[in-house]
Amino acid sequence: MNTVTILIVDDDPDDVLIIADAIKELHPSIQIISAVNGEIAMEMLTSHLDFHHSLSLIILDLNMPKMNGTQTLMALKENQKFEKIPVVIYSTSVNSLEKEKCLKLGALSYMTKPLSYKESIATAAHFIELCNIRSIQTGKTV
Amino acid sequence: MHEMAKVTLENEMDLILAHKRSMKLAEIAGLSLSAQTTFATAVSEVARNTIDSGKSGRLILNVEIDQRDKYIVACIKDEHANNISREGFEYAKRLVNKYYISTKGTETSIELYYYISPSFKIDIQKLDEWRLFFRNEPPISPYEELKRKNEQLQKLSEKVQKSDTQFKTLTNSLPLIIFSLDLEGQLLYANEWLIKYSGESIESLNKSKWKSFVHEDDYHTFLVLFENKIGNGEIAIRMQARLLDKAKGEYLWHQLSLTPYKDDNGNLQYWTGFIVDINAQKIVEETLKDNRELKQIQIQLKESQQTQERYIEELNRSNQELQQFAFIASHDLQEPLRKLVYYSDYLINQYSSSINENGIECLTKMQNSANRMRMLIKDILVFSQIDKERISLSDVDLNSIAYHARQDFELVIEEKKAVLIIGDLPVIRADERMMMQLFENIISNSLKYSKKNSSPEIHIKSLIKDDCVELSFKDNGLGFDEKYLTQMFTHFQRLHNYIEFEGTGLGLAICRKIAEMHNGKIWAESKEGEGATFYVSLPTYSNVNN
Repeated sequence: MNTVTILIVDDDPDDVLIIADAIKELHPSIQIISAVNGEIAMEMLTSHLDFHHSLSLIILDLNMPKMNGTQTLMALKENQKFEKIPVVIYSTSVNSLEKEKCLKLGALSYMTKPLSYKESIATAAHFIELCNIRSIQTGKTV
Repeated sequence: MHEMAKVTLENEMDLILAHKRSMKLAEIAGLSLSAQTTFATAVSEVARNTIDSGKSGRLILNVEIDQRDKYIVACIKDEHANNISREGFEYAKRLVNKYYISTKGTETSIELYYYISPSFKIDIQKLDEWRLFFRNEPPISPYEELKRKNEQLQKLSEKVQKSDTQFKTLTNSLPLIIFSLDLEGQLLYANEWLIKYSGESIESLNKSKWKSFVHEDDYHTFLVLFENKIGNGEIAIRMQARLLDKAKGEYLWHQLSLTPYKDDNGNLQYWTGFIVDINAQKIVEETLKDNRELKQIQIQLKESQQTQERYIEELNRSNQELQQFAFIASHDLQEPLRKLVYYSDYLINQYSSSINENGIECLTKMQNSANRMRMLIKDILVFSQIDKERISLSDVDLNSIAYHARQDFELVIEEKKAVLIIGDLPVIRADERMMMQLFENIISNSLKYSKKNSSPEIHIKSLIKDDCVELSFKDNGLGFDEKYLTQMFTHFQRLHNYIEFEGTGLGLAICRKIAEMHNGKIWAESKEGEGATFYVSLPTYSNVNN
C-alpha cells in the first residue's frame, strides 16, 4: 500500500479539522485518522497488529484528558514496535523550553496551532515534509 | 432578800468588820478575790461616810435571788443629817453592778448589788449555812484585823504585778504584735514588737491614729474599722493591711485581729488585738492568682492561635480555589478564543470576494479584539500559575535562559534590528519556567517600548551581592516617569495608550510575583526619553519552600 496515513491525536475536533483540511488541500491522497486522547491512540496501535507499519506520522496535541501528549510520546518511544514512528507535537503553548523538552523526548518537531489560514497551510506543509522522511525509509512516496 | 449578817456602823473598828464581813460574803458566794475586794471596798466607802457623818448607821448583808440573777447585796442605812457627804457612794457606784439610794422619812438606804456567777448554785440549805457561819464567827482584835487586811491587799497587789509581768513576758516573746485598745481606739497596751516594728511609741501611734503605720491604700478601711466598730462592739474584727516595717522601709502584708473583752456583765471594756505577718502567704496568693491568670491567658492564646490557624487554613484553601479557578477559566477560555481568531481570519482570507470593505473592517476589528483577549487570558493563566504549590526548584543556568529568550524573540529582534547583549550570568536555585517567563516579560517590554527610529539595545548583566544575585536589564527605549513605579508592577496598569502598543499590562506584575515567590525583589529606574533599567534581585541558594 502506498497511501500515506497520518494519525492525529487531539481531543479538540475543530483543531483536527483545521489541520486535516490543510493537509488534504496540499495532498488530497493522504489518509487521516484521529484519536481523542493518548489512551485511545495506544489502543488503536496495539489492537491493530500492522497499523503502526502503515503510519507515516503521528501528530500529537499536548493537552488531552486521560493521557496527555507528553505521556503518549514517552509511551510510544518506550515501545519497540512504535518507537520508529515519527511524532510531531502540535500544541497551543509556544515556550522554547517546552519545545526543547519535547524534542529531547523524541519528537521530531514542535508546531503551535495556527491562528490564521496561512499558518495552517504552512504547518501542514511542514508535517508533510516530515512524512517524506519516513517514506524514504519505508519506500513509500507522497 | 435573804439576810445574812448585820454590822452596826459607829466607829472605825466597825468599818473593819464591815469590810471583813463583806469580803467573806463575797468569798462564800463564789466571787474571785478581786471581785471580793471590789465589793468590800464599795461597802467600806459608803460605810465610812455613814460612820463619819450619819446617825444610827448599820450594814445589812443579803443575798438576793430573783428569776434571772443572783446578787450579794450590801444595804447601808442611816438617819441622816441633810448635809451628809456621799462621796463614798459616788465612788462605790462605779464598783458595783447595781445600786439604789432611797429615802423614807429621815432614813436613807443605800443598796449595793454585786453579781453572783449564774453557775454558782445557791439553795435554801446553803443560805442557812451562811447565816450560821456569820453568827458563829469569832471576834478578833481590831489591830489583827487591820494587819490581816493589809496583808491581803499586799498579796493581791503582788499577784496582779506578777500576772502583769507574766503577761508582758508572754506577749513580748510571742512573734506577734499584741496590743489592747480602749473603746475610743486608743492604745492601752502594746508589746515590744509593735514598738519595734512600727518604730513609733504608743503616744505617737495614738496621736496619728496609726496613719504613718498603715499603707495609704488600706488606711481608709482601717480608719472605718477603728471609728465605727470599736465603739459598737462587734464580735471580732479581722482585716488585712499593709503595715510599714520601719527597719526595712517596706510595707508588708499583715493580718489584724481584734477581739472585744467584756466584763462579767457583758459590757464592752476594751479590745485585745494581735497582728501577724502574712506577707509570704500574700505573695503566694498573688503568685497563684497570677499563675491562674497566666494559665487563662495561655488558654486564650492557644484558642486564638487555633482560630488563626483555622483562618489561615481557610485562606489557603480559598486561595488555592481561586488559583485553580483562574487557571481553569483562562485555560478553557483560550481554546474558543483561538478558534475565534482563526475563523475570523479564515473568513477574511477565504471569503474576501463575497464580503465588502465594511464587512472586512468589522471582521478585522473582531479579530483584533479576540487577539487582545487571548493575550490577557494567557497572562492571567501565567499569573495564576505562579504559586508556591507549583514552584519546582532546580539549578538554573541564567545564561541559558537568556539565550532561549533571545531565540524566542528572534522575529521581533530581526524586525526592529534590535540587539540583545547578554553578560555573564550565574547559576541559581530557581524555578526554570518562571525564570524563563521573567526574562521574556522584561525583554518583551523593552522591545515593545522602544524608540521608533532607533534600534533597541538591551544589556543583561548580573552582580553578585552576598547570597543574592542582582540582575539588570538596561534598555535605550522610551523610558518612563518614576512616579509610576508602583503602578507599573501591580496588575493591569499601563502607561501608554493601548492602541499604540500591543499587549496587556500584566507582564511586569507577573515578574513581580515571580521575584516575590523566590523571596527576591524587582524594581526599576528610568527617565522619560532616556531608557529604563529593570533590576531583579534573587537569592542564590535560599530555600523557597519554607
